[in-house]
Formats: sequence, C-alpha cells, structure tokens
Amino acid sequence: MKDLSVIETILRNRYHFFVEIREGIGLPEKMRAMLISSIAFLALYGAVMGSTHSLWQALSSAVKLPVLFLATLIVCSPTLYFFNVLFGSNQSLTQNIALILTAITVTAVLLLSFAPISMFFLLTTSHYQFFKLLNVAIFAVAGGAGVLFLSQGMRVVSASGVEGAGARHMVLRLWILVYAFVGSQVAWTLRPFIGAPSMRFELFRQLGGNFYTNIIASIGEILGFVVVR
Amino acid sequence: MRDQPSSPPPSTAERILDLLLEALQERQAARQASPERPAAPSGPGPQPALPPSPAAEPGAAPLASGPGGETPPAPEPVRQPPVPEVKPLRGLRPGEAGWTPPPRLPGINLGRTMGRLLLVLAVLTVLVNIPINRYGTSLARIMPDSAALVIRDGLVLKGSGPEIYVLEDDKLRWISSLDAFEFYGYRWEQVHVVEDSFLEDFERGKPIHVLLKCLSSPHIYALENGRKRWIKDIPTFEAEGYVWEDVKMVDCGYLRRLPDGLPIPQDAGPPPQP
Repeated sequence: MKDLSVIETILRNRYHFFVEIREGIGLPEKMRAMLISSIAFLALYGAVMGSTHSLWQALSSAVKLPVLFLATLIVCSPTLYFFNVLFGSNQSLTQNIALILTAITVTAVLLLSFAPISMFFLLTTSHYQFFKLLNVAIFAVAGGAGVLFLSQGMRVVSASGVEGAGARHMVLRLWILVYAFVGSQVAWTLRPFIGAPSMRFELFRQLGGNFYTNIIASIGEILGFVVVR
Repeated sequence: MRDQPSSPPPSTAERILDLLLEALQERQAARQASPERPAAPSGPGPQPALPPSPAAEPGAAPLASGPGGETPPAPEPVRQPPVPEVKPLRGLRPGEAGWTPPPRLPGINLGRTMGRLLLVLAVLTVLVNIPINRYGTSLARIMPDSAALVIRDGLVLKGSGPEIYVLEDDKLRWISSLDAFEFYGYRWEQVHVVEDSFLEDFERGKPIHVLLKCLSSPHIYALENGRKRWIKDIPTFEAEGYVWEDVKMVDCGYLRRLPDGLPIPQDAGPPPQP
C-alpha cells in the first residue's frame, strides 16, 4: 500500500516529483514504487482482458502485460538516453529510466481506471473484434497520457542543460514514435492477450502478420467489409 | 512677474520657491528622458505602471523637456495617445530558467483508494472466472459465441441439431460419430454453438468418419451414424482418401456388436463380420 502512494505524488504533485528526479532525490525508492504499482495494475488489467477467453488466458495475460511494458522500456530507454547525451543532456540513465517508468505508471493507472469499463463490455458483449478494438483504443488513450507525462517530465528534468534543448525536444518526439512502434511490435510478439474465442489457449501465437494489418482487418470486419480468417 | 521692472523685487521666500520649482522641473525632465524608468503618471489618479517597452515611450515624450534642457512652459493638459492594451506576461513554463513548481497539493489518500480499487477489481476478476454452470462456463464467457468467432480451419461448430461439424478449407465437414470426435482429438469445450443460418453460409465437405479394425480381423470398417460400413478393399480405401492413421484399433467384440450399414462401395456385396 505504501508503494501505491507514489501514484498520488505523480498525479497531484507531478512537478515536485520531476524536480526530485532531476535532483536525484530518492530515485531507487521511487523506481521501486513505480515498478511495483505498474506491475500490479498492468497484471490486473491483463487478467481482465484474458478473462474473455479462459482462465489460463487470464493468467497468461496477467503475466504478459507487465512484461510487454517492461520489455519496451528495456528496448527503448538506451536510445533516449544516448540521443539526449548527444544533444547536451546531463541526465543519467537512471533518471531517464525513472522518467519512462513515470510514463508507464501513469499508463498503468489509467488502464486500471478503464478496467471496470473493459469488464462491463466483457460481460455484455462477446464480439471479439469489438473487444479487441476497444482495448486498442483504451491502450492508445492511456499510452498517450503516459507519454505526455514523460514529455513534461523530460522538460523539467533537463532544465539545467539549456544547450541543445530544442534538439532534445525533437529527439523526444521521435523517440515517442519509436516507443509506440516498438511497443506495438512487442505486443504482437507476445500475443494473444485477449485470445480469439474460436482458438485454443496458446501462450504465444506463431509469428506472422503484424499489429497494424490486424487492426485494420478488425475494423474492416466490424464495418462488414471483410471476414478475419 | 519678475520681468516687469515696475514690480517690486521678489522676496527671499519667492526666490526660494522659484528655485525649488526649477529644480523639480529639471528633475521631472531628467526622469522622463531616462529609458530605463517608466513614465510618470500624468493624471491625478493612480495609473498602472507599464512594463518597460518601446510602446511606453511615445506616451512620455510630451512631458520631456526640450533638447536644450531649458525650462518648459507652464504645464498644459497633455493629450495622451491611446494606451495600447497591456498583454499579461506569459508565465514561465516548466523547465525554463526561474521556473519553480507550484505549491504542493495536500494529500487525498489516493494510494489507499488505488489499493481498494485494485482489490475490488481483483475480486471481480476472480468472480467472473468462476464456472457457474455444469459445462464449466464462467460469467466472463457465457455470452453466445456466434458473433465472436474468427473463421478458421479447425473451428468446431454445432447448430440446433446434434450434428457437429469442423471447418476445413471453407467447407463444413460433418463428424459422423462420437468415436470420430474423440479419435481426432476434439474436445467439448471447443464446440461453438451457433445459429443454423450461420452454418448454412458454408458449403458441405466430406464427412469425417473414423475407421475401425480389430486385431484378429483383416477387415476395415467406416463408422457412420452408429453403423459399421465395410470397406471392400485397399483401392477403395485409398480412393476414399483414407490413410492408415485414420484407423482406430478396437475390441473385436465391440466391432461385431455394431449394426451393419451399406458397404463401400454400395455394390460390394454382403459385408463380412470381423
């Protein structure tokens, strides 16, 4: 419960939180609290998503959703760090990771807040494509809010290094695109999270296709243009 | 008054006052001529101080002294140009020099609220996953499947009748017996109950039979609708598309107890018993 109090600091006193990251105050404690909170929230949302298929899928998604975000963090954080250093930043890698963890925590909190809605649709509709697109939309909203926090945090944390601030801002924007792209590909690799009702439970599906064509096909099916096979 | 010779010489007090007036006027002129200082208010009432900007200088010019620094004439009502709208200064944005974070907001026990929400959602998630009927279906999966199916090979479907089909190459293949269903490894939880109209959208393919054979007999039978159909010979077996992996070994007594159906081909003659 103590670790969850970091949520209040992030949501209500975010600038103080960012300033403390800039000053390097209590970074390990902050990162641990954010990590625990994020894992708990993401695991629960994963379980809600997977419940539409089977108990095994619920358990599997509860493990895979935190892994998805942490894997994306591990894959993407060195890029942000080294590009920031290239353009004059004096932040440490730990500070960068703390900022990205802040974004992940905000995303996880918002996902948890969407969990009742997701559960409501889980109980009242069984249209797989609709449920999938609903979750994609929820993830887009929560992820967007998360990277907005990251952007604000990066502005505060990099205040002391004025030189190259414009370039670093551009780097951050490009990095957010890369982050979204890597995240969607990791999600595709770790799928299924919901589990098509006509298919057996599988921990991982065979590779092939990609996230974007699948989403377009799902939209096409909902609109009645195609049948996903 | 001092220029009139007929007038009496000014008194000491008047001279002191004149000197004081001149000193004040010089001081005022010097202040208005200075670019760093804002213009002095000209009206009697208080006026807001303008920020130091080029726009403030034209308003101050009429009050300035002449180029030579001589004493200006008696003050006249100054016609001021319209004061441009003063835009408020943009606040410092986070990260800019001089920015300080806003005051801390008081705590609202959000951590405890999040903990409770987490707990409630965890309990709900467990509840919706608990099987609630004799088929082991939970609340989360109790809605009918027909709108949720992803059409693919291997999809097992059942309409309102007892027949069970499997979808292969966009064709529905009827699974002709329980033996065949079990022999091919299908499970009841794979069966999706759909509307009959959904089944009618698909072409019918070859039925799926299981082939039965017992150890002490060379004959092979196809099980269909609970009857055994004798397959006349190997060429017929192969012509029907069967392979040896389709053959299930069973007890000879069980095989003998099954009633005979039409042989394959139908003109093969009376079927031998195993």
